[in-house]
Amino acid sequence: MSEIWTPPYPEPGSANDAAFIGIGEIPSGVYRERGFMAQIVEASARAIKDAQLSHTDIDQIVLIPCLHGIPDQADLIFSRVAEELGLHGKVKSSVMVHSGGSTSDNATRMAAGLIASGQARNVLVVYSERWGSADLQDMIDMLSVNGIPREWEAPTGLQFNAIGGLITQRYMHQSGSSAEEMAAICVALRDWANLNPNAMYYAKKLTIEKIVNSKMISDPIHAFECPFLADGAGAFVMTSATEAAKKQDAWVRIGGSGGCVSHYAAGQDADLGVLGWVEAAKEAYEAASWGPEDADLGEVYDSYAAVLAIALEGLQISSKGEAAREFHKGRFSPGGEFPLNTNGGLLSAGHTGVGGGTALLIEGIRQLLHRGDDRQVPNARRCIVGGTGGSYMDAQIMMLERATR
Amino acid sequence: MATADVLKDTGYIQNDTELTGPFAAALAKGNLIVQKCNDCAALIMYPKYRCPACFSGSLGWEQVSGAGQLQTFTILRYGPPSTFDVEAPYGIGIVKLDEGPQLMCRLHPGPDGTWDHYVCNQRVSFAPADAAEIAERAAAWFTAA
Repeated sequence: MSEIWTPPYPEPGSANDAAFIGIGEIPSGVYRERGFMAQIVEASARAIKDAQLSHTDIDQIVLIPCLHGIPDQADLIFSRVAEELGLHGKVKSSVMVHSGGSTSDNATRMAAGLIASGQARNVLVVYSERWGSADLQDMIDMLSVNGIPREWEAPTGLQFNAIGGLITQRYMHQSGSSAEEMAAICVALRDWANLNPNAMYYAKKLTIEKIVNSKMISDPIHAFECPFLADGAGAFVMTSATEAAKKQDAWVRIGGSGGCVSHYAAGQDADLGVLGWVEAAKEAYEAASWGPEDADLGEVYDSYAAVLAIALEGLQISSKGEAAREFHKGRFSPGGEFPLNTNGGLLSAGHTGVGGGTALLIEGIRQLLHRGDDRQVPNARRCIVGGTGGSYMDAQIMMLERATR
Repeated sequence: MATADVLKDTGYIQNDTELTGPFAAALAKGNLIVQKCNDCAALIMYPKYRCPACFSGSLGWEQVSGAGQLQTFTILRYGPPSTFDVEAPYGIGIVKLDEGPQLMCRLHPGPDGTWDHYVCNQRVSFAPADAAEIAERAAAWFTAA
């Protein structure tokens, strides 16, 4: 952007200040018996209950897309969710927002905009994914055509673990991080997942040794550094701060946001070891008037360890080149100085496709509502949420703040 | 522009075949070409419908030296797409050409059959695959310089 534009963010507590008031989630993992629509209805019901609303209070549905199949995607597009929730004839609209892994940020922006402009009162945002139950080769093939230019990069045999390999190789070269330091990122996430009963790997430990001794999948990424595809569903409800104050003691507001689309094709990014985080952070921190030093925790997209390390450095949560070493020293682990991806992240709570980023957002809201149970960050007031989609095409940042009546 | 003029106007690139065709034809002859803007002379990869710099629709091609720097690389060992009829392992890299543009490419293995000798930022050069390979998969291949 050529000139600095300071957006007029809503006054905190005002009728156009969007507020997260409830969350719902079911466990992630491989659950072949659970249906796509059943997952949506259950997650939605939990979020509506958590928000202390009735289902008929919802007047707008915003859907996070699934990637496992076209028929279920079509059900989202054509308002099946409204009917399944008994909201046909009641909701103004049901609409899907899609930017891959950063959808949660963009869906939130859209829901907040609808609330701020008086177009919606109570917005339900929900995701459901069945990646864990889908055929693995089908998903690899799908992930070789989605987000990869079919004319220009598919002829090289590129797929998503290979993109992860390209980014990790670049990051390790620039930072001088060792294989053990990179593996420590996955271990820290697993330690968090071990505190989250909804995480795919709640009950399984992971060690650096186990990772570096696992087979190489796409150099320098080992098998235990690849995301595990999962089934899962989650939802949240947004309203205005004035509506929230009628029933809630506390809610979560958006202090500001920032974003940058740095590429579409992985081969076209100016520097895969940097991506769009620096630009996005500049905008987000200026909008929120606070930054990493003021944050109590972070929830940042992590489908590969290097993707998370690069984001943390762009967000200035870590200094340049040091993120992996900081993980290795325990800075981001449970009990460490800066709680991060406290649900276990995509790498250990389970990669639920587009939903993986939404699960991180839901975890950020949960922490700021102080509903984190065993993994609650004491007195959490500010959380930085980061998302990225496709071949890490964009960096999207939401600056979340706890608000009280 | 009047409607009639728009309907007559075919002076623009109408589909991706007009972009992939010349690129693949050059590769099959052992040449690496990139797109070039006829107005601002920007070199463009991958080829576009409009010049990303000046937005001109007047675009042609230019042969490049094939010399460049390897930004990053990976060796895919498991799980190639089933639509990609090559057995793993194979090497993939991103090369920044000396002329500026950047592209995803295949990497030739070394004499020992591995890719162990590659490192980020090293010099590489275009070393085309044979015409039969290009007919199947129109990718640019590079090797250590």
